[in-house]
Amino acid sequence: MTVTEASRDAAVEAAATPAPTAPPTGLAAVVGSGDPRTIGKLFVGTSLVFLLASGVAGALVGFEQADASGSEIFQADTALRVFTLHSTAALFLGVLPLLLGLATAVVPLQVGASTVAFPRASAAAYWVWLVSGGIVLASYAIDGGPFGTEADAVGLYVLGLVAVAVALFVAAVSVVTTVLALRAPGLSLRRTPLFSWSVLVGGTVWVLTLPVLAAMLLLSYLDLRYGQQFLGGSGGIYNRVAWLFWQPTLYLVAVPALGIVADVVPVFAQRRHQKHGAAMFLLGLLAAVGFGAWTQIGVSIDGSSTPTPWLFEGPWIAVSFVAIVPVLGLFGLWNLTLAKGKVRLSTPLILAQMGALAILVGVAAGGATAIESLDLDGTTWMTAQATLVLGGALVAGLGGVAFWAPKLYGKLLPDAAVRLGATVLFLGVFVAAVPEAIAGTLGQLRFAAGGILSADAGSLPGVDAADVDTVEVLNLVAGIGLAVMVVGALLVSLALLKRRSGDGPGDDPWNGHTLEWATTSPPAVGHFAELPRITSEAPVYDARHAAAGTAETTEASA
Amino acid sequence: MATTVTDLEVFTEAPPAPPARPRVLLVGTALATGGAAMVLLTLVALYAGLRSDVLASGEVWLPEGTNLQLTPGGMGMVTLGFSLFTVAWIVQALRNDDRGHALMAFAITLVLGAAYINVIAYGWQQMGVGITSSPQVLLIFTITGLHVAMVGVGMLFLAVMAFKAVGGQLTGRAAEGVSAAALYWFVTVAVYGAVWYSITITK
Repeated sequence: MTVTEASRDAAVEAAATPAPTAPPTGLAAVVGSGDPRTIGKLFVGTSLVFLLASGVAGALVGFEQADASGSEIFQADTALRVFTLHSTAALFLGVLPLLLGLATAVVPLQVGASTVAFPRASAAAYWVWLVSGGIVLASYAIDGGPFGTEADAVGLYVLGLVAVAVALFVAAVSVVTTVLALRAPGLSLRRTPLFSWSVLVGGTVWVLTLPVLAAMLLLSYLDLRYGQQFLGGSGGIYNRVAWLFWQPTLYLVAVPALGIVADVVPVFAQRRHQKHGAAMFLLGLLAAVGFGAWTQIGVSIDGSSTPTPWLFEGPWIAVSFVAIVPVLGLFGLWNLTLAKGKVRLSTPLILAQMGALAILVGVAAGGATAIESLDLDGTTWMTAQATLVLGGALVAGLGGVAFWAPKLYGKLLPDAAVRLGATVLFLGVFVAAVPEAIAGTLGQLRFAAGGILSADAGSLPGVDAADVDTVEVLNLVAGIGLAVMVVGALLVSLALLKRRSGDGPGDDPWNGHTLEWATTSPPAVGHFAELPRITSEAPVYDARHAAAGTAETTEASA
Repeated sequence: MATTVTDLEVFTEAPPAPPARPRVLLVGTALATGGAAMVLLTLVALYAGLRSDVLASGEVWLPEGTNLQLTPGGMGMVTLGFSLFTVAWIVQALRNDDRGHALMAFAITLVLGAAYINVIAYGWQQMGVGITSSPQVLLIFTITGLHVAMVGVGMLFLAVMAFKAVGGQLTGRAAEGVSAAALYWFVTVAVYGAVWYSITITK
């Protein structure tokens, strides 16, 4: 190459380089940001606020059911609407976006990418989700939502929820594409970190599930708008949504949560995840059985019936029991990893294990639901199951936030405060779920199924007169449990706001295993100045042990 | 320029292969297309299930006065069927760096897309009943309307990507973008196959 050619290249390069501009600060830096870390933090923070609203609504409904003689807090129809607010907000505005937000921030780091696949789409997804989530909540205030009486407000709720589904869909597409297309050289799918893998498999099924919800809601909107012909008007809307709160679709929320646990356990066991490939298979299996769009409440052309032909049929029973296998299997692998390692009992590990335990109990409860002779379907047993799985996913998700806080916030979270808050939350999950489950065994119908609307004064739907007093107490305790969950979520939120002061945590405060620990805390723009050589699923662990001369072979090594 | 020993030493070992080009747009489009297809297929499945239930009860599916003609739906299928070839033509022409043919194929595809929308709208007009007349008609309008929207998005996607490619960006992400748009279009046509069979053919 001649000197002249080199000069020309340099000149072209210089001309193509834009003049440096000052990075935006303040509100502009947040609103206009396509940085996955910023978007992830926004999702996590906002979903916690929505979760507080959901928890308060749930606790109020629980207290409402503590007295069968009449409405203490709400009118009966209002109570039913508040219940739908509680459940809708918990899933679509709370747990699912929290996990998606964490994935948006962490997955690009884990796979060695400089950013998420579609940063602008992810940012747009957040803002659409925020605005439409606000619209969903606001519609309740003007007599909308399921069972609402103001037609326009009900329509607003439906369209708001469609927009929420679209936003979550876009966010999921972005992170799934990141795992599929932006992995660093050497990071084969087989070596993908388990959280990223869980986002890939779980996210793919969400990508196929959310459009089904959107389609049914769009149809509901048109049916509402053009004569309420066959989908049951505003009262039928919740039937179009309810299938996401029960098995098997409910388990899709557990997939990324278990992925978090799978990444946290080996770090604090100071040992590779045992049988990494088997863990990938088990997460994939849970995601596969979690596709539950076929378990919707059906409709008839004249709106006279709501068939559920899949109920207690072979496929539904099969997925109800098969779902237990991957969760149990993952527990076995984690116990093996912990048994072979040197355990450091830290907050992320404790939270991850608590979350996984709640999910395991919830999935096992789903197996019991599928036993027809127990007659648990349609009762508050199913509410308990949803509380356990969603609550467990939330606790595990908060464990993930604590674990990746150095990458998210550049600081560690205050250990004691997070541990206290999440433990309170975990206890709240069980204080709420156990009475709900017992009440279910006594026949109490799910709030949205039997509904307080159908109950005569002095009775509870589905409960024998002799058991009413007992179930009232159980409902009161469940309400207290939901209130305890709110307190726990509040404590964690305050801990997130406070963060640990002082010096930064260092790039790798936990001695992590995967690529996110090979960059700075917080990561600079572009994430990585240089990537370590990737020959297994735990490249940072490899590099550390190679330096110490204690290399450990792995099944995923090339 | 004279070759020196130092220059030769540089090439004694092959340079490492560049990392595979990420196919981000193609993968993202595949996922988004799957989602769009799920919206339509959900409604088609609901339509088929309800129709089956009604026929099993011994009643007729379409209420009296509903004039669902075979011709518009069939013409729509034929039109979209032709567009499969023109979209493949765009992709192939761009691979061969043949901008003239790419532009021609692109224009024909847009015309076919517009013709499809026109023939479906004609079918709605010929049906003789409004969306409020019965749940069956509500479903037909919803499904076909959403598919028209899907075709519209496909036309826009193709237009953006084809203009970028024909404008000179024939390599890298732009070429991948045309492939992504083609993938979306192929799925859109396949979904219409299901819509056409479920609504127009079976009636």
